[in-house]
Amino acid sequence: MEYEEGVKALVTYILRRTMSAIAVMAMVGAFVFLLLRLAPGDPAAILAGRAATTEMIAGIRQQLGLNDPLPIQFMRWVWDMLGGDFGNSIFAGRPVLELIAQRLEPTVSLSLLTMTLSVTVGVSFGVLAAWRAGGLIDRTLTAISALGYSVPVFVIGYFLIYFFAIQARWLPVQGYKLIADGLGPWFMHLILPTLALSLGFVAFIARVTRASTLEVLTEDYMRTAAAKGASPYAMVVHHALKNAGVPILTVIGISFAYMIGGVVLTETVFNIPGIGRLVVDAINNRDYPIIQSVLILTSGLYVLINLTVDLAYTLIDPRIRY
Amino acid sequence: METSRRELMKLGLAAGATFSMPAMLRAQTQELRTVRMVMGDLQVFDPFFTTSDITQYHGLAIYDTLFGLDSNLVAQPQMVDKWTVSEDQRIYTFELRDSLSWHDGTPVTAADCVASLRRWGEVDPAGQLLLERAAEISSKDEKTFVIGFKEPFGLVIDLLANAAGRPLFIMREQDAKRPATEQVTANIGSGPFKFNASLAKPGSSVTYDRNENYVPRHEPASEFSGGKVVNVDRVIWDNISDPQTAVAALQASEVDFLLQPPADLYPAIEADPDLELQALGKSGSAFYARINFLQKPFNNVKARQALLHLVDQEAFLQVVSPDPKYGGTVTSLFGSRTAYSNDENTGWYKKGGNPEKAKLLFEEAGYAGEKVLILTPTDWSEGNNASQFLAASLQKIGVNAELAPMTWSELSARRENKGPVEDGGWSIFVTNQSDFSLGNPIGSIFFLANGEKAWYGWPKSDEFEALRAKWADVGTTEQRKELAREMQRVWWDFVGAVFLCRALSPSARRKELTDLISTQGEYRPMWNMKKV
Repeated sequence: MEYEEGVKALVTYILRRTMSAIAVMAMVGAFVFLLLRLAPGDPAAILAGRAATTEMIAGIRQQLGLNDPLPIQFMRWVWDMLGGDFGNSIFAGRPVLELIAQRLEPTVSLSLLTMTLSVTVGVSFGVLAAWRAGGLIDRTLTAISALGYSVPVFVIGYFLIYFFAIQARWLPVQGYKLIADGLGPWFMHLILPTLALSLGFVAFIARVTRASTLEVLTEDYMRTAAAKGASPYAMVVHHALKNAGVPILTVIGISFAYMIGGVVLTETVFNIPGIGRLVVDAINNRDYPIIQSVLILTSGLYVLINLTVDLAYTLIDPRIRY
Repeated sequence: METSRRELMKLGLAAGATFSMPAMLRAQTQELRTVRMVMGDLQVFDPFFTTSDITQYHGLAIYDTLFGLDSNLVAQPQMVDKWTVSEDQRIYTFELRDSLSWHDGTPVTAADCVASLRRWGEVDPAGQLLLERAAEISSKDEKTFVIGFKEPFGLVIDLLANAAGRPLFIMREQDAKRPATEQVTANIGSGPFKFNASLAKPGSSVTYDRNENYVPRHEPASEFSGGKVVNVDRVIWDNISDPQTAVAALQASEVDFLLQPPADLYPAIEADPDLELQALGKSGSAFYARINFLQKPFNNVKARQALLHLVDQEAFLQVVSPDPKYGGTVTSLFGSRTAYSNDENTGWYKKGGNPEKAKLLFEEAGYAGEKVLILTPTDWSEGNNASQFLAASLQKIGVNAELAPMTWSELSARRENKGPVEDGGWSIFVTNQSDFSLGNPIGSIFFLANGEKAWYGWPKSDEFEALRAKWADVGTTEQRKELAREMQRVWWDFVGAVFLCRALSPSARRKELTDLISTQGEYRPMWNMKKV
């Protein structure tokens, strides 16, 4: 009975969050649509080129439907989107969803590799620093974390390119190879971008892990575990880490969201044709359908990550109920 | 069979090596005749739809032209085999050469040429003039077409060979029948390269394959004329938006050619023994300020003349192109290296850099502290630098100059506003165009001086327009040179625009890539190049 009530409450919670996600996406959509139209810049002028005449630009605006009143443009866009049509790119002339799909693999690959590396190294560093708090390891890791946290991604990127791609010639400078072209080339092209993007997240996760673990390590039950002869491994992994898990998980969730910004820079520096580059180019060109679609989908993803993190809390801490 | 620890280690090392480095080495072996170029972001594929340079490069790759200019700027037949003109100079008959075919295998016909001429005439000033004067454009048979004129017209071949603005690319009739405001969707031409649609990654890379069915002319290649021989199998244009990464990719041999590296990275390129900077555009770009004729203070000719005195081109060159070997000055309305370049009416301001005189002229113009707003493109470093320098120069003589920083796309929209600065208008913006294109007063909108119908800034001089109208009817080059002097005299009196400097934009290439075609203009053909 209690179990059934728990499941019902969970389903209600998920439904409530899904509805709020849809509301958030709708608001993002309306806001982005208006913001783009009110911001200066004209895709028709960019399409026509630098030496274009007023007549040429006017002709293109007319053809693109940009002269229609804003409410009509908005309703047309919403109506098409409800039917699953996110529109065509003004420049590429191809469906936006097709363009996004083409760019998904590089971004997902980069994000997953970065998160895997960041969580593995960040949590390990954090736990190690907490276990040896105040010692040499702690101070060294704290210094490395501060460095990783404060140096911008593009500086790290250029540094890595210079040493590992130009001087040593071990790794490619730029570009991306699809997984279908072979795991080796795929991985080689992602090593430097992953390292550049991970450093900041490793630092972030390590600092929070250290603080949370340190707090738990001073609890009475840890002293009890030590008195009962628990090994350091069992104490840290089974007792400390599990109890410090909620804030660490929160930080990982936040990192995922922050990564969207980092991916844009990393993809630009390493010339990776992912979603980040797609959005940057679209913003430069005022390619409205692409910007709108990516931002809506990103906001949906953001909400989904938050929901996943919230649900994951119940696995770590059974006291948490929805 | 037992395996020793040492053998296992060897095996592991070999596997690791196979996993990592050879992927790149193998790729290089397979793609020995593949050239990778960083040309920019090709987004629009229809060369009549846009004036964007990169789209014209694309046009040069996949389309062919009826005529092409050689290195002496003389029009030479390209797709045309023979042509004749009637004694009264009114009927031009063109016969296409044999073996011309589209990339889909169908033959090129005279009807394709007629449709392309009409589409070109919708948008290009040279084409518009040709259509305006023509009484008839029609195909006579599969290989022959005729252009008949109302009056004798001597400029026909020069217009058809236009290599500035939009060259006359010949498209399939079904493509050319689309209005020029609608983009062509098929990238099928009859040129020396075929567009490989299956490998196109919008925003990332585009691929061109050698057109094995293309039959080049027998003459040696000379700029846009002669045999367009393709010596490589494939050319890939990578869109690397970050210039530092692009140079790093060139250094690491991941790309072979970089169209326009930023000037601050020239030293790094020159220091690399495997790389070379090469100015493939012989005449470079003329940088100039468009001035708003409709609003104060530049609605007064004296204020415009003040700008001519103020601008010190050598100082501007320092901020646009710091290495003096990649630039110079331009004082002739017709550019620095064209057939019509001259020094008429330039003596009075030629040296520029005279702020006292400029200040005096602003006073004579009745300048009363009105805001001079300079639209400043922050995403174009040369334009940004030149705008800032111009603002500083104006401020030094007491002009209330202000910068309005914005992206080029914002500038493109803002420059449409003809109103005063207070109502969202503007006073000046800096732009550039190929110095070579200044030799064509009909094909370049820069020269229009018909007030509100002219290009941005809306310069107005009836006298100049009357002279410009004569250009098409002048019979000989010598007569045209004389007319050019007259036009220039008038232009610098009313000051239609102000030149800031002339800058060459060298390309960077790996030394294995040789025999690239140099041209007077800024368009970069890809035939003839070799990868050693």
